[in-house]
Order: sequence, then C-alpha cells, then structure tokens
Amino acid sequence: MGKFDKKTQQNISNDICGCFIDDLIGENIENKTSNDRLCNSHENDLEVYVDPDIEKISHDFYMRKLTDGLPIIPPTRDKVDKFLQYTDHDPDELIAVLQPKQGKATIEKVAINAVMAGCIPAFMPLIQHIISAVSQERFNLPGVNATTHPTAICTILNGPISREISINSGAGCLGPGNIANATIGRALRLCLMNIAGAVPGIMDHATMGSPAKYSFCFGEDENVNTWEPLHVERGFNQDDSTVTVMAVDSPQNVNDHRSTNAEDLLDTIIDTLSVAGCNNSHVPGELLVIMGPEHAQTILKNGWEKTDVKKYIHENTAISVELGDRGGRKLDDQWIDNDEVKLTRSPDDVIIVIAGGPGKHSMIAHGFGTSSDSVNIPLKLKTGKLAKSIQDFKS
Amino acid sequence: MLKMNVKILERDVLNPLAEKEYLTLNSAIIPETITEISLFDNTKPNADIILRYIEDNFNGIKFSHVKKPAGAPATLKQINKAAQADLSILALGDCGSCTTWVILDAIKLEKKGIPTISICSDKFTEFAAELASSNGMENLRILEVEHPIAGLSKEKVQEKTLKILPKLENMLGIEY
Repeated sequence: MGKFDKKTQQNISNDICGCFIDDLIGENIENKTSNDRLCNSHENDLEVYVDPDIEKISHDFYMRKLTDGLPIIPPTRDKVDKFLQYTDHDPDELIAVLQPKQGKATIEKVAINAVMAGCIPAFMPLIQHIISAVSQERFNLPGVNATTHPTAICTILNGPISREISINSGAGCLGPGNIANATIGRALRLCLMNIAGAVPGIMDHATMGSPAKYSFCFGEDENVNTWEPLHVERGFNQDDSTVTVMAVDSPQNVNDHRSTNAEDLLDTIIDTLSVAGCNNSHVPGELLVIMGPEHAQTILKNGWEKTDVKKYIHENTAISVELGDRGGRKLDDQWIDNDEVKLTRSPDDVIIVIAGGPGKHSMIAHGFGTSSDSVNIPLKLKTGKLAKSIQDFKS
Repeated sequence: MLKMNVKILERDVLNPLAEKEYLTLNSAIIPETITEISLFDNTKPNADIILRYIEDNFNGIKFSHVKKPAGAPATLKQINKAAQADLSILALGDCGSCTTWVILDAIKLEKKGIPTISICSDKFTEFAAELASSNGMENLRILEVEHPIAGLSKEKVQEKTLKILPKLENMLGIEY
C-alpha cells in the first residue's frame, strides 16, 4: 500500500480519498493480491466524474416538462459556472420576478436555462438583459405568456456586441444555422417555461402556439447603407448595444420582385399586413417590418426617410370595421375611422429593422395589439456604465 | 495482478426551475349588506350578456358598469371606478390573457378591500386558481361557467348564466 500522504494539497476534492496515484501504485505493488483495493480509506481507488448522458438527462427533463421537446445540454455545475463568469452580478441576485408563476429569475437560474438551450457562455449578458426587458410592465409578460394567441417573443439585437457574438443579420437570419440566433431565443423560451411557469397547456394557453416560440432572435443589419437602426431611433448611440423584445405572431413573408418605387413596394407590404385575425385588427398596436436590404434600397432610391415609411404604413394599413370586430375584445369606437380600423395607433407603432440577405423579400409580424409594447434596453454593467464589449462582463 | 476500483460517476445537474416569490394575501370579506355591485366587463364576446343577466336577476341591488381591457391590465381609473361599489364581479376569463387580467385585476381590487367574484369558463378556472395562488391569493373567489361563451346566441349564454346563479347567490350570501 502506498503511503498516505495528504501533503498540503488544498484543492483535492472531498470526493476522492486524498491519495496520489503515484503513491498508490508506487510501493509494494507486487505484494498486492488481485482482490485487494489500493486504498482502504475510500470505497473506490478512483472516482471519475463524467458529464451526464445527454439522451438520458434530456429524457428525464422532458418527462418533467422542463424542456421545449428538443434535447438539452445537461446543466452541470461546471458548465453553469462558465456562464457565471460572464456576468458582473452574483449568482443569487434577482433580475426579475416573472409572471404568471411569480418565479424568481436569479442570475444562476437564467444561466442554468441558458446552458440547457445550448448557448455559449458569452451569450449570458444578452440573456440576462432580455429577461430584464420582458419583465417590464409595459411588455405585459403575464398576458403574453398565458394568451391563447400564438404570441412569440421576438428579440432583436443591435450594436457592436451583436456583431461581436456573430448574430446572423443576413441571409437566413430568421432560420436555422447560427448558434446565437438559435440558442438565445431558445434560452428565453426555457426561462419562460421554467422560471415564469409558461408551460404549454398549463400556464401557456396558446391554442396552437407557433414555431416562433422555439426561438425568434436575430440582429439588425447595420452595415447596409439605409436608415438609422432601431436602437438609434430609440435614442441610443450607434456604438451602444441593445436588446429589443417584442411580442409578435409568426413572421410572414412579403415577396415583391417587381416594384421599382417606394409606394408600390410599400403597398405590397401594407396589403400583407392588412388582415383580419391578428390582434392588431381589434386592438391596434405595434407591427414589425423586417425589411430586406434590397427592398430598403428600392424605397431609399425615392428619397424616403424612415419616418416617411412608418407614416405611410400607419396611414394605409387598415381593415374594415366588420372584419376588425371579430377579435377577442370588442372593437372600441376610438379605433374606428371612416368605417375602417387602422392596425397601428401611430407611425411609432411601425417598427422597422433591416435584416436578411440578397433577394426581394421582407417579413412582417403582427404584434400583441394594445396589450404589449416592445421594450428596448441597453447592455449595461452593474455600475450603470454602458458595455462596449461582451468581454466587459467577464469576471 | 493489481486490481484498482474505479467508479465512474455522472456529474449532478442543476435545477432549472425557479423558486416562487412567496406571497400570502387574503381576499376581502363580503359585507353582510350589499348595496352596490360593480360589473367589470373586459368586453370579451358575451361577457356583457352574462353580467346583464346577473343584474336582471338580483333585485334591490344597485349595479354600476365599468369596462376594462381583456388581455391587459385595467387602468387605475377603471380600477378606482370598480372599487366604488361594495363588491365587483369581473367577466370574462375564457382565454389565457383575459383570464390572467381578470384575476390580476381582481387581486388589485381585493388589495383595496373590495371583495370580488371572477367569472371564468371551465377550461380556464384551473389556471385562474393557480394564477391567483401564485400571486398570493389562494382564496380568491372564482365562479366557473361552462366553456365556450364566445360565438353563442344570447339565449344560450343566458342559459349557461342561469346555471351559475345559485353558486353566485351562495357566494354573495343573498337570494336572487
């Protein structure tokens, strides 16, 4: 038996006996019998810790309704700790209390769900801020989470940090293929399920839900020469970084390959927007227009400013009162104008961002009507200082 | 031959579920004498028929009418108006967001000392009760009406409302 020498190693885990492998096998090894254990102080000579089996943990979590149905990364202590290195808050600090379950969104709980979603640790500050944004009163998280409407939460990233994490704002930005787009939105969804309690059929009552509820996150393309990006429009500087959350239906495509001027192209967008069956039809509110860069260039060619586009969409996106009054809430007289209902309350309700690759396409998504307003917040350090890099958060 | 016992252990996983904010609130007591009831209508389809039918079947009580949003919170003005009565009846929780704000607005009234009765359809009463409990008011009064209510004729809605009148009478402690 090798000598038992604790030496002065302070970093030895309590889970192992304290013997060193050299000690264990170094002395009198020839005298050991085949049935002897090397060390008597512990049941085993060596305990090796491995990551849990993904399939097994995914199944276990799935059966406990802790996932969105897709496999998850097992949230082990060491993996969660890597995320905690990307925040300047303590693990038990409370970011928000999330409705409807009144769940306490601590930094650690958010990190656990982010690990599960497949995020990388550097995404942690973004997810932390997204949770903070959805908890703000004007976002109406209790309604957004519980509604029978297929309301997803769209997250839009702006500023240098969005580029630092390589969020996709180009070709396929609303589809698969990019880890930030795929997992940041998913982390939010898992937080909503496990922290806010928005489990489908239990506290999330969407009649059918929506594919956009898995993940709906992208960046605005600020490199194309168009209008000021969303965060600048909301009062931030170009080199600030922000997250914007907005409660929306699934996006719908606007295919227009033939319009050569602003009005024609915007009429196609307006026609796609002006439908019954959305929440805006009876409780007017925000609309999201994700404009493809080529469409934006068509409009810019005519010298239209962003404010002109927003005004034109606001003034012309409308449906008949007859169709408008088929929604969940009785159509209020204040929204009726010449036997029509405008789908937005003002031009400010038209939220325009530029994203996507080559092609003559844009996307629109209806909002949650008067019941929810988008929230745009800057990425800030605990000190209140605006973050310039994701590395600013690293401890 | 040396034998070495090596145990392979899986690392533990952490719990993604959050702790709940702990709250305990009690619903307001219904007074022995009810002079005025506010009917708090979220304008969901046929909520007005339910509330009107209740009004028509309880004699000797003054009813006031207040409207509120369905999937969003009532304004402070609307809450204060509904709070002017001895009790408020809220309708209708027959979807996720409207049930949410029937319950959360009812709790706001209860916190002001105004007892409430929240009418929710049976597909949403379990959620309504859980939401009330999560927000600290386990004993919030929820009156269950048969789902669906939207898309029905006036007569059918009245028929469903008639079935809940005995329970309502019992909650109010008065005869209709």
